[in-house]
Amino acid sequence: MTMLEVFREHKQNVCAAWVELVLSTYSLDTKGFLRTKNDPFLNPVGDITRLCAGCLYDAMAGEDIDAAKLKDALERLVKLRAVQVFTASEALGIFYAFKSVVRSTLLPLMEKSGLTAAYLEAESRIDTLALMAFDMYAKDREVVLENRVNEIKNQHAQLLRWAQTVDGSPVGGSGKTKL
Amino acid sequence: MATLPTPQQLIASRPAFPKENWMDIKPDFKPGSFCYPAQKQTMELLHMPNPHEWNPADEDWNLPENWEQILIDAFEERLKKHRSLKLFMDICVRCGACADKCHFFLGTNDPKNMPVMRAELLRSLYRKDHTMLGKILGKKVGARGWDKDVVKELFSYAYQCTECRRCSLYCPYGIDTAEITAIVRELLHEVGLGIHWIMDPVKNCNITGNHLGIKPHSFVEIVEMLADDCEEVCGIRPKTPFNEKGHEILFITPSGDVFADPGVYTFMGYLMLFHELGLDYTLSTYASEGGNFGSFTTFNMAKKLNAKMYAEAERLGSKWILGGECGHMWRVINQYMDTYNGPAPAHMMDVPTSPITGTQFTNAKSTKMVHITEFTADLIKHNKLKLDPSRNDHLITTFHDSCNPARGMGLLDEPRAVLKAVCNNFVEMPEKTIREHTFCCGAGSGLNTEEIMELRMRSGMPRGNALRYVQQKYGVNHMACVCAIDRATLPPLANYWAPGVSVSGVHELVANALVMTGEKKRTMDLRQEDLPNVDGGDE
Repeated sequence: MTMLEVFREHKQNVCAAWVELVLSTYSLDTKGFLRTKNDPFLNPVGDITRLCAGCLYDAMAGEDIDAAKLKDALERLVKLRAVQVFTASEALGIFYAFKSVVRSTLLPLMEKSGLTAAYLEAESRIDTLALMAFDMYAKDREVVLENRVNEIKNQHAQLLRWAQTVDGSPVGGSGKTKL
Repeated sequence: MATLPTPQQLIASRPAFPKENWMDIKPDFKPGSFCYPAQKQTMELLHMPNPHEWNPADEDWNLPENWEQILIDAFEERLKKHRSLKLFMDICVRCGACADKCHFFLGTNDPKNMPVMRAELLRSLYRKDHTMLGKILGKKVGARGWDKDVVKELFSYAYQCTECRRCSLYCPYGIDTAEITAIVRELLHEVGLGIHWIMDPVKNCNITGNHLGIKPHSFVEIVEMLADDCEEVCGIRPKTPFNEKGHEILFITPSGDVFADPGVYTFMGYLMLFHELGLDYTLSTYASEGGNFGSFTTFNMAKKLNAKMYAEAERLGSKWILGGECGHMWRVINQYMDTYNGPAPAHMMDVPTSPITGTQFTNAKSTKMVHITEFTADLIKHNKLKLDPSRNDHLITTFHDSCNPARGMGLLDEPRAVLKAVCNNFVEMPEKTIREHTFCCGAGSGLNTEEIMELRMRSGMPRGNALRYVQQKYGVNHMACVCAIDRATLPPLANYWAPGVSVSGVHELVANALVMTGEKKRTMDLRQEDLPNVDGGDE
């Protein structure tokens, strides 16, 4: 059996275990809903998590994946966790927990097939994915702060413009929010 | 040597099964998740009960000495006053139909944000004092008495509800959880607990007429400035009639459209449309705020702030009122105005009638107030406007149904009719997220304050998620809406969840497409950005 074949065979159960783990970071009363409802708009958190699980797994396994699709899936989950009530480690720890899930399921099998070195390479790819997630998280937090600053500016935009005309100065340029 | 936790241990925020009953879980007040408290001075000025200094992050909220009795009495009084409230307290069977319908629940995944649970916070108190079983069996039947942590919990969750009423749509009994939230906020006000971003605009509207407290002469000057901007764009300076008696129509819109970007462009759109029509109307500095922040505090305050609409129509002798694009303003008008301050002044027209088309707005017979998208949709239907929708061709637009116009007054088709006439590229968001099923912007009912931006991004996630979907699938780059709060809250939401999507009111796009008599060649849109589809503009 090649490494990819082993990975493919266990994709479903590893992903399910990881999704379970991620959903367990929410309250027990919520988890049932997140786990059972399959609608991208009526259960976005469940959907985003499940979608990300598949992409993460394929990227880790070394499948030929669409980079844009992977980035999008990762970005959505990170965006979500970046504004939920989690510390940074709770928000991003799920990617390291992914490694633990993969290791406990697949490492013994890989060792048996003499694929340990290839497995370790795959595991390192999870580190890369976690680092990508870290960048996304930092950017998302910056956007939240940027939104706060912009909102204060926008709320009083015309007032400020008007105030600048009070001493008889000509009216400055209009607000330049790009449409 | 200390043992480091594993990643699983680090991320596990809870044990597999909670050890505590939901009643024993205390609310957590982390920065970013609560609104700043109202200032004591503001509360005093408004004669609100028990004004005091306090901070949600503090252990002690400095409640008045007899706070418990105040709350028990206030709750009892409201149960007697509102039969609906008593019914809502009794009738819920916990079927769970509402549980997953709330954008706060979907975004936070906090079970106390399930509407049924949010209502249970109050219902548990009701059971203790007002039901026989609750009196005898207490906690065993979900009853509990007041304590200071309960007050904190009520505050936390009453300000994690935007009163959008999406949950009510799905309730088989028609329980209006928004009304329950409104009552909880009223109760909290009895012990002096309110938030700054609601009470400050209430104070300003009360004193100077608009939410930022801008004095009338300055208000007029800002509108003049916007008229100058219109001239820059189209070569015609629209009229800005203020406080003039004897006009047929009084126009009232939220003041956010005069001060805030991008709402100002919607206001410019109104000015240009009215000018082109030669509409016999006036603006008012007294009724310069259509929005009613009072409706986020108490029914009495909502009534007080709403009263100026009819008072001004009477003073100026207007025959009917045209209302701008606003959310809760329309909820108050449709649901409460008649009872609060009706009937409308006797001199007003029996049925508001469009002076351009002769259409009678029979739906507004009682309130005498017509929504501007009804007015404009009627104009378009009768071919009274010359439009060039190709000016908006660089936009692929979707429409966000603002909760109050959609669910509070059933305004679903008119804005779409207008948008489709002024934009060639219109795409709907997924079915379950629009029209009466619309997801809230996440920051209505006075929660559009910057200190809870993080919370707003959570609660706005379901809307952001649907927007992102149409952005990726159909290339949507613009979202129109008919609410001033939306125009303030959707830009940051889009910036987070679907970067690259801009936001505007419907009438900004109307004015972009409007071909005015004697206008100069349009090369710019209302934001003074080059129009890419017009010669002389950017390629």
